[in-house]
Amino acid sequence: MKVLTFSWEYPPAKNGGLGVACFGLTRELLASGVAVTLVLPKTQETRGDARFLFADTERLVKTGENADILYGPYNQAATTIESIIGYDSTGKPIYCSRSILEEAHRFAHQAAIIARMEDFDVIHAHDWTSYLAGVAAKIASGKKLVLHVHATSFDQAAGDNVDPSIFKIEKEAFDLADQVVTVSNYTRNILIHKHGVKEDKVTVVHNGCDAEEVKELPPTLVELKRQGKKIVLYHGRISIQKGVDYFVRAARRVVDVNPNVVFVISGWGDMMTQVIDQVGAMGLSEHVRFAGALWEDDRDRMYQCADLFVMPSVSEPFGLVPLEALQHGTPSIISKQSGVAEVLTHALKVDFWDIDEMANQILAALQYPVIGQQIVKEGKLQLLQMSWNKAAQRMKELFQNLVQYATS
Amino acid sequence: MLTICPYFHVHQPYRVKKFSVFDIGQDTEYFNDGSGTDMDNRFIVEKVANKSYRPTNKILKELLDNHPEFRFNLSFSGTVLDQFETYAPDVLESFQELVATGRVEILADTYHHSLAFFYSIPEFKRQVQKHERRIKQLFGVKPKVFRNTELSYRNDLAKWCEDNGYIGIMAEGWEKYLGWRSPNYLYHPPGCKKIKVLLKNYKLSDDVAFRFSNQAWADWPLDAGKYSNWINSHHGNGQTVNLFMDYESFGEHQWEDTGIFDFLRHFPDMVMRHPDTSFKTATETIEAYEAAGEYDVPDILTWADTERDLTAWIGNDIQRDAIAATYRMEKDVMSTGKRDLIEIWRKLQTSDHYYFMCTKWSNDGDVHAYFSPYKSPYDAYINFMNALSDLKLRVDYIVQEKAKAEEAAAEKDTVKNEESKQPPPQKSQEKDPAKPPDPQSKPDEDVTSAPEPEELIDEPEPLFKNIWNRLKKIFPLVSPERKST
Repeated sequence: MKVLTFSWEYPPAKNGGLGVACFGLTRELLASGVAVTLVLPKTQETRGDARFLFADTERLVKTGENADILYGPYNQAATTIESIIGYDSTGKPIYCSRSILEEAHRFAHQAAIIARMEDFDVIHAHDWTSYLAGVAAKIASGKKLVLHVHATSFDQAAGDNVDPSIFKIEKEAFDLADQVVTVSNYTRNILIHKHGVKEDKVTVVHNGCDAEEVKELPPTLVELKRQGKKIVLYHGRISIQKGVDYFVRAARRVVDVNPNVVFVISGWGDMMTQVIDQVGAMGLSEHVRFAGALWEDDRDRMYQCADLFVMPSVSEPFGLVPLEALQHGTPSIISKQSGVAEVLTHALKVDFWDIDEMANQILAALQYPVIGQQIVKEGKLQLLQMSWNKAAQRMKELFQNLVQYATS
Repeated sequence: MLTICPYFHVHQPYRVKKFSVFDIGQDTEYFNDGSGTDMDNRFIVEKVANKSYRPTNKILKELLDNHPEFRFNLSFSGTVLDQFETYAPDVLESFQELVATGRVEILADTYHHSLAFFYSIPEFKRQVQKHERRIKQLFGVKPKVFRNTELSYRNDLAKWCEDNGYIGIMAEGWEKYLGWRSPNYLYHPPGCKKIKVLLKNYKLSDDVAFRFSNQAWADWPLDAGKYSNWINSHHGNGQTVNLFMDYESFGEHQWEDTGIFDFLRHFPDMVMRHPDTSFKTATETIEAYEAAGEYDVPDILTWADTERDLTAWIGNDIQRDAIAATYRMEKDVMSTGKRDLIEIWRKLQTSDHYYFMCTKWSNDGDVHAYFSPYKSPYDAYINFMNALSDLKLRVDYIVQEKAKAEEAAAEKDTVKNEESKQPPPQKSQEKDPAKPPDPQSKPDEDVTSAPEPEELIDEPEPLFKNIWNRLKKIFPLVSPERKST
């Protein structure tokens, strides 16, 4: 079984859940004997044993620490990104500015060329930025196409006010795909009800999680901890989809009752200034810390130091962060509007809009520490059952069924 | 001769309504959900009355009228009797009619369906006595045979029952303690001289209570004839078949459309077609037969799950934490002498509250086996602990006021003795100790006259802050050891 996979992001580049999921799935597919050729839009460092192809030789312009976040697939289609497309005779770089939409089309153009050259049985494309590439590869090769949905335009818009150009790509690609895989029933329902995809075409394969023992890192926020403050953490993009504004409103309710709590917001995104303004307007400056975008060990230290993690997403197809927090021994409150709520029973669950209940749960979790103890103790056992291997086996079965059908 | 000794357990808890942290110190009602959902106690009692209590009692009455040999036992929690009285008095009357036939025995129990025996024997005794008074008042009888919450049992409970005048006690007939022996005989507990143990025949009991409607079961569908044959096959190797089950098995756990009522209607007739089969109440059974051997149960035995233990109630950390917090309050609650507060505290001892916090299902994924009105065990815990914290605030307030009043009285006496000119201290006039805690009056403001001013904060404290500070004293935060788990 040979799979040609298209993805927009991949570790170790700093990005969101899509890269993590791609990595976990690819690793386990390889381990179970599936040959994965992974096509990425730009040359980058990679991790793991898959065979990598890059859809060009351009390099991403590093404009600052968070440059590659702007390259994420979770932005509006019209967001522009700058690339160095070559060098002139004097060795000066030649810049080119394209929108993500244009990049996705360019990726598709390259995909068609790659698909004609490569040998494979089935095509697997992750998220809307790769859908066009997947469709192009299917047209070029005549092979079956599986689209893997990690997010939809409805999640990004946190409502029905979707980016029409992304929705158009989603709709057309779902129609052309042979199978569509979503990471949760929550997302499956969006596809069925909003995109009008036929029920039997959409399969749910829940994301997995690596239940490896994490290393104990040096503590952070030592001074706050010394003062006996309780730390409540948000970690993720700061965008309308993630519900950070609800988190801040709940913080106000919490601090009214228990002023001994500090809320840490880790991440970056297009809603940053709005959230900072909100914190100021609600008089929460003393109680909210902005940690910037944290990665790797910095992020893990924050997970380990926090007393409680909150994922207040307005619309979350899956949501790997509470599982990461759990690995680091931190219990979570998770939005009911998330896919992870379907598989993680050891967490407190709340409707993202229910500020009072969110505050109630935060206060209770801090007041009755046995809740956190039990969530972590039993939750870690549950993590063991959510392996990427399990997800990869389901994908493999799905590929096999498709290929069988194609050859018979 | 083979006799059947059925007992049906009737119980409903007072479910705690949605009670958030923000309600602490603001709301003193915990059981008055009126939402018409599964947290609404009136709604549930009315629903179960229609599905189970009313139709089943009608059938039981007919059976008693038509079969002079038909007998059975009932056990009630006090909490269900209270709710019948308030929400469905006709159901209570129909039970009284059954008992009035003289062929329905009532068993002794804890009033609040609690696990008090394992946490506080004095409190357990008070609940048993309260239950006895209530049964006497409603039914005019005095129970002689004991059954404990969830059929929980241990050697020392049997001893307690013997010491307190009971002639029999109910327990699960479990192989671990029976070995090769049959549950269809009476046994005696070790170290007891008079009291006898009646053991539940769990196979035959659960055939009705759990398996009756299970279409995957090899013996489905079960009818009264087949079941009677199974029972009558025990002739020669048993004296009594003890069928213990929840009363709500009839109509609520097994719905009417499963044919459960037809089964019940025909069962006595079918089983008594064997000339040597009859029914006995618990007391009659104990008086009729001798103990066949010793039943030695050193650890807690219940009728629940495959483990037959209390893990569904106190198996995880949040359950143990909640029940420990409940019983930690005993001394203070009792010292208030306030009937209403003690009653609320006891309603919170009902085992169902801890059952709702069970996470055992997460291991086998069988969510439905543990029905709960709460969305998750954690929600159940938070809700319960918030209500308990509120109760704790009210109790502590009274305890403190009492202590202050006593102190002031003592001071007054000494002042009087020394010189009577000095005016009495102002502090004692500020509050009336008999008044319930009023959230609007800040109980902590007495701190201003305390010798140590370091707790004072310059700004006037918001209402919640006071409550929170008091809460912290009640449940001191544990140092975060969870990282090591």
